Amino acid sequence: MNIIRFFVLVIVIFAGSGFSFAGDKSTEVVVPDFLTDDFLDDDFESDDEFVISDPLEPMNRFFFEFNDVLYEWAIKPVTDGYIWVLPRELRISFGNFFYNLAMPIRFLNLLLQGDLYGAGTVLSRFTINSTLGVYGLADVAAAEFHILPRHADFGQTLGKWGVNEGIYFCWPVFGPSSLRDSIGLAVDFYTHPVPYFHESTVLDFAYYVSYRVNTLSLNPDLYEDLKLFSLDPYIASRHAFIEYRKAVIERE
Amino acid sequence: MRNILYVFMLLFVFSSVQADAAENGPTDALRPVLNGLMEILADESLKGEKHLVQRRTEIMTTIEIGFNFREMSKRVLGKAWRTIDEQQKDYFTEQMTKLLENVYVGKLERYSDQSVEFVAEKIKGNRAQVTTFLVDQGIKLPVHYIMKEAGDRWMVYDINIEGVSLVRNYQQQFKSILRKEKFEGLIKVLEKKNKSF
Repeated sequence: MNIIRFFVLVIVIFAGSGFSFAGDKSTEVVVPDFLTDDFLDDDFESDDEFVISDPLEPMNRFFFEFNDVLYEWAIKPVTDGYIWVLPRELRISFGNFFYNLAMPIRFLNLLLQGDLYGAGTVLSRFTINSTLGVYGLADVAAAEFHILPRHADFGQTLGKWGVNEGIYFCWPVFGPSSLRDSIGLAVDFYTHPVPYFHESTVLDFAYYVSYRVNTLSLNPDLYEDLKLFSLDPYIASRHAFIEYRKAVIERE
Repeated sequence: MRNILYVFMLLFVFSSVQADAAENGPTDALRPVLNGLMEILADESLKGEKHLVQRRTEIMTTIEIGFNFREMSKRVLGKAWRTIDEQQKDYFTEQMTKLLENVYVGKLERYSDQSVEFVAEKIKGNRAQVTTFLVDQGIKLPVHYIMKEAGDRWMVYDINIEGVSLVRNYQQQFKSILRKEKFEGLIKVLEKKNKSF
């Protein structure tokens, strides 16, 4: 683990001197192809192909309900208060800050995916936003230089390497995931720089909570829309998660 | 001389065919529908809870030109579609249209000042994907409309956001309800959901 820690620190420190090879290409719109499979042909032969493995459904449903209670009684009131106190512009800035700080996760995973161009984009953005963007509070790279963010995580890397999602999980607090993405999440936790700067679990927890609350405050309707629009919110969130992750892996 | 004339004639025929195809393409079919929808949503005289019925009527009249709700319903129900009679198909389509109105239109109504940008178009046989950005307060949300050519018209049967297909999402939910409660039970759940909006 010490090697990874060292590696992460080196990257964080030297990213400022970063090499930049992100050009105009990153401003192009990437249009995914959703026509590859017609999930229902006219003969109704192929409508069973989308199968999610969920042998732990009873337990997952229990945690889904648990998260629902947690949301209604703790997360939502806190987020509502947070929204009431802080203007949207400031919350967006905090969102940028959190995103910028998690740069090593994206950088390492793009390298693991063999995407040097993407890794360069991530580094250029980090360099620009950490300096001109004042600690990453402003996304100057996107606004002024038209270098758009590139997402990457270890679950995605595994997916690109050909690992299937495995069984579905709905974790307490963390929510929808799969076996593959749970492993991804655990690995990404080790490449996140924040825990390396102090030894306090309380601080890590505080960081995670503020990150979650801030993220939710920018999209406060997300979970309530899901409940409002669906006939079975558990299935709806499970399907949305799996298909969303498929799209993230298949992207470019 | 004759050859040149021939080439010109061919070119002329070809270009007019091209123009025809472009005018009847999926994007051209979708553009007036979405623009019409945006106009109604921006209409000050139709805003608010008071004008809900009139606004929704106008929106649905506009949308039904470009959205094929029967095709959507068929796909949402999957294999079970074959097991029900014409009357049940009609009723299911009606309830499904109502649900999609509540979900899709209801969501759009909560945005203010949005506009639509047409970004890309892909055609594969009789199916097409039109990629748009829903622009709201400077934020661009990519929305992909999946369309099918029926007769000589392109109509939407699915909406895809961030890789998640609306039709497939409902199909998954309905499948688990159908397994437990059959078609009759599903209709009851659907009616109850529509009443809750």
